[in-house]
Order: sequence, then C-alpha cells, then structure tokens
Amino acid sequence: MSFLELRERPWRQRATTDTVAWYPATPTRPQGWLSIAEWHLRIGAWQRLLDTFESTGQRTWLLFEPDPVEFSAALIAIWERGDEVLLPADNQPETVASLAHAGVALGAIAGAGSAGEDQPPIWGDEPLPENALSLYTSGSTGEPQRLTKRFAQLDAEMATHATLWPLAQRVVISQVSHQHIYGLFFSLLRPICEGAPFAARLCPYPETLHAWLGELQADRGVLISAPPALSRLAPAMDWSPVTTSLARIHSSGAPLPKAASDDVRQQLGTPVFEVYGSSETGGIGWRDQQHGDEWTPLPGVEVRTDDDHRLWLRSPHLDAPNAWQRQADCIALTSTGFVLEGRADRIVKIGGKRVSLTAVDRALESQPEVVRAQTLPLQRRDLRLAAIVQLSAETLPHDHATHRATVQRLRRALAARFEAQSLPRYWRFVTDWPSNAQGKLSAEIRRRLFLDLDDRRAPRWLGEHIEDGAWRLTLEVPEHCAYLDGHFDGQPVLPGVALIHWTMQAAQRLLGAETTFAGVERLRFPTLLLPGDRFEMTLEHRLKDGQQSLRVQCLGQRGEHMSGRVLLYVSDSAEDNDVG
Amino acid sequence: MATTALEQELKEMIIDALELEDVTPEDIDPDEPLFVEGLGLDSIDALELGLALQKRYGITLESDAESSRQHFANLRSLAALVEARRAQ
Repeated sequence: MSFLELRERPWRQRATTDTVAWYPATPTRPQGWLSIAEWHLRIGAWQRLLDTFESTGQRTWLLFEPDPVEFSAALIAIWERGDEVLLPADNQPETVASLAHAGVALGAIAGAGSAGEDQPPIWGDEPLPENALSLYTSGSTGEPQRLTKRFAQLDAEMATHATLWPLAQRVVISQVSHQHIYGLFFSLLRPICEGAPFAARLCPYPETLHAWLGELQADRGVLISAPPALSRLAPAMDWSPVTTSLARIHSSGAPLPKAASDDVRQQLGTPVFEVYGSSETGGIGWRDQQHGDEWTPLPGVEVRTDDDHRLWLRSPHLDAPNAWQRQADCIALTSTGFVLEGRADRIVKIGGKRVSLTAVDRALESQPEVVRAQTLPLQRRDLRLAAIVQLSAETLPHDHATHRATVQRLRRALAARFEAQSLPRYWRFVTDWPSNAQGKLSAEIRRRLFLDLDDRRAPRWLGEHIEDGAWRLTLEVPEHCAYLDGHFDGQPVLPGVALIHWTMQAAQRLLGAETTFAGVERLRFPTLLLPGDRFEMTLEHRLKDGQQSLRVQCLGQRGEHMSGRVLLYVSDSAEDNDVG
Repeated sequence: MATTALEQELKEMIIDALELEDVTPEDIDPDEPLFVEGLGLDSIDALELGLALQKRYGITLESDAESSRQHFANLRSLAALVEARRAQ
C-alpha cells in the first residue's frame, strides 16, 4: 500500500474496510482486526470529548494514553481541530503537575477526560496545526528540554524509512512507549502513513511477544524495541517455534550491546536494525551489527567531522534542514559511514587537569569484576568524579567493610594510569544497570543515585524494579546518615523509625505525593541495620476492605531487617497512577 | 597506641571537610598515610584540609609546600601539628 504523508491525512484517505490495528488473542478472545471504519468512530468519540472543552478556549492538549488505538484516535482528533498536542513522558504525579499549566489533560492522567461511546467523525476544513507535536526529551544531559516537531520533519523522515524498510502491511509490534518520539514514530505514525496495522497493545514482556509471534504468519511482523528489552529477550525463552514470524527488529535509544545483537540474530533468526539519532536530531544513521559496528547515514542525511572529531549534521529531519549543525557526539569517518567515538563532553577538568571520562570508564571496565561503568562529574565544592559501577553479583559488597575494600581495590587499579584527583570519590555499586524505559541513564536517575549526599536523611538508592507485582528497591545505609546519630557504645545502628520513613518516602514517590502514613501492623525489626549495610526493600501495594497498605520487607545479607505492613491513606487524586 | 580525643576530632573533621561519604572514623589508621596510599587523599584535599585547620583551630600553614606535606603525612603528625600550634 502506498505511503501517504501525515499532511495528506492518511486516516481520511484509506478505504474504510482496510485494517488499522491488530488485536492479539487473549485467553477469552481470538485475534482480531480494527477496521478504518471502526477507528473513525474512536476518532469521533475523542472529537466529541474535545468539543466539551470548547468554552475554555484552550488550543493545547496534554495527552498521556497507554492504549495505542485510543492514543492514535485522540492525536488525530486534536490535529483535525488544528490544535497543538504536548506529550508528557510519563503520568507520574510530579511530571503531570509540572505541565498542568501547559494544556488540558487527556487520557490516563489523574482527573483527565477519556473518550466515551463510538461517534461518527467530523471531517472539517480546519488546516493542520503549525506543529505536529511537542514533547520533553529524556534529559540525558540535564534538565528535560521541550522539543517541537513540525509535520514536514516527520514526513521527510517517514518517507526515508518507507523506502529503506517498507512495512508492506506487516503487523508492527512495539515494546517501547509511544509517548516518546522513537516509539511514536516507529510504532504508530509509520504504520498509519504506510497503511500497515499496528498492534493494539504494547508488548513489554518476552512471554507476550512469544505468544503473539505464534499467531502471526511467516514474515508478517516487525518488532520495535530498545536495548533494555532486547537484551533480555533471547535468554528468556525458546524462540525456535516462532523464528520465522518477524521480518526485522528495530532498536534505538542507546547502542545495543554486540552480544545482544548476536543472541537475537541467532535465537530469533531476525536481523536487528539499530537507528542512531536523538529526539532532537531524528534518525542519523543505521547499522546491523552482524555486518560490523559502522553506522551508515540514512538516505538524505549528510555527515562530516572536524579536527575535534565532532559530528556535523545536515539533515531533512532537523528543524533547519539546510544548515550544518554541530553535535555533541564524536565520530570517525570510514569508507562507507562512521563509527561513534563517544560524547565530546566526556572530557572534564578536575583540579585544572583534563580527564577523559571515557578513559576512566574503560579502565574500570577492564577490571574482572566490573560489568559496566560510567563516571560522571559531580559539582561538589570542587568538581569531583563519581562512578556508577555494575558488578557481577558474587563480587557485590554487602556491608561497610566489603564496600571499602572494593573501592580501594578499584582506586588502586586506576591509580596506575590516572592522577589521584581523577579517581572517582563517590561510588555506587549496582547489579542491574540503572536506566529508564528508553535504556538511558537519565539525569533523574543520576540525581536519585546521589541524593543522599545532599539529604542526610535519605538512603543511598541503588536501583529499583518491579517483580511479581511488587517494587524492589536496592538501598544502602549511608555511613553518615543523620538517623544514625544518638548511637550508643560506639556502634551506630539505624533505628526502625528510619526504615518506616524510607518506606513512606518510597510510597509517596511510587504511589503519588498525596499518600500519607496511617499506621503500622505486625511490624518487626529482627536484624539491626548498620552503617554501610546494603539491603533490598520489597513493597507490595494492597487494598483490602477499603484500607490501602504496603507489605514491607527489608532483606540483607545478614537477614531480615524489617517486615510487616504500613497502612496508608491515599487521597483520590493519587490513585490512578501508572506503576509501569 | 590508642586514639586520643584530638585524633578522633581530627578524623571527624577530615571526613566532614572532604566529604568522604563511605569512610568512618574507625577506617582511618592514625599511622597510615593520608595521601595517595592509605586514605587516598589528593592535592585538592590538601587545600581543603588546610582551610579546615584554619577555620577550626586558627592554624595557618607555612607557604612552604614541603613542610606542609610533612604535617599531613598521617593523622599522628597532623595531631602533633595542631597540638604544637594551638599551644603557642
């Protein structure tokens, strides 16, 4: 089916009997398809909802909607009015509160409206808005930046992709959120413009993907993924029954580890086409690591470099398509493309001496126990280095003494190559690489990792994930934690009240700021926590007889430090929070 | 040799002034070098430490870098410096 630009409004032009979305089978329902005619009724339903805000005069909408069909219908309803849309990265209370002034909230945002019954759409003659959308970048280099994409930018890039990797009516399955530009572009806008169906649900887990691929005929699927999901795919299950289903996989957001590319190729039998770029630049280059680590510029994208190895870019995907723009990444040109050499801003001056953070990272990663390392400058009095180090599970320190020994061993290993002031002063040891859903160690995650330096009442946070419906936070008791004051016999211990406080802080962040303490039940503190102790805090949210609570357990190497229930009072506006 | 009250005070001052987040007073061996080996302090720390001594005890170090370095060799020598200058 032919490619249509967004500016041609493909949603109006397709035959009403064509399919726009694919519903994978559920335990109670066989797989099914959504026709253009049925999709139009959802667009009509959103148009009617938007009409109810007519009197407010608002022309900007804040849209967070996890359901791809509803999201696409809402987006088109907004465009058809000629209005602007802003996509928040998530629907966490803090994010939503910070954007509340920007527009009228829609979808899965506390207190926001959602579309009701099917309604016929109304196609007026309102021109499309100036900008296709605005969003906030993940902020890997600082504060999140508001970014605007014009229709021409998106159309230019989609035309390129449609030629390079035509969807040819394959079903597009996505493991990444369409609230971010990569997911939106690949998993919704491309299928809409190429007349290919998109999966009507997000597919975050390997088990789900396995089941879905079993329903597809050979070569009928395309998977949109990212390094965090893709790295965990191959080892998760036996893919041999479904190896023919996918035509290709796309990955973006961060470079995919070579080992993951190998595993996926071997076990799913599918090539992984990585796309290099950013929310700001759009796609720059692509590669399949089975053919080397070089990147090939996307058609129409021009790449050159200067004496500092900086990447210069001229691209129809940029806001100014004819200007050369200097980027933060360094590259080396090759005969057919380029290789990435890391970010230019990875050189810092410590005590007046230049240090390459990339060199420190590599030196750390050459240590046998280190899986991955990233150093970063922290602005503390003078600039000092901090290191986030992923260790193999068996070498992970669990208490003050082993932490000290690990730090000294790593510092000694670095001391041979680097001056003393270039050695990291602050260390965070993790078992899983801390990243957001896009695979980025974002500014927000970095802030959380070092929060205890400024807040003497905070635990040292070393990561969290959801497992079996419960949050699992990895924490350490900072050696100079304010709660340790008032100790006896020279042996400071962490009082139980501090653990309750940390539980409540986590609850407010995860469940919403309106969550307050309502009491405790069967709370025990069997094993004392000492300064430097590492432990895992498991929080399971429950609602029973109208009472919200958290089942809490804190487990460390020496045993159980806390167990029981913390009762919560959650006001209405905080309840509808998406934990994913 | 047991740790004196002054040595304990200096340990806490060092940890606090240099923001040694994972070091406790017990980790500082009074006879071990403070710089490079041992505690692993560096030239930026030496400046910070000089400031802390001045603020806390009113001690001004000589402009001669070599003799300052001797005082900073380990905790005992640092304590000796404070003891001597405080008495003046």
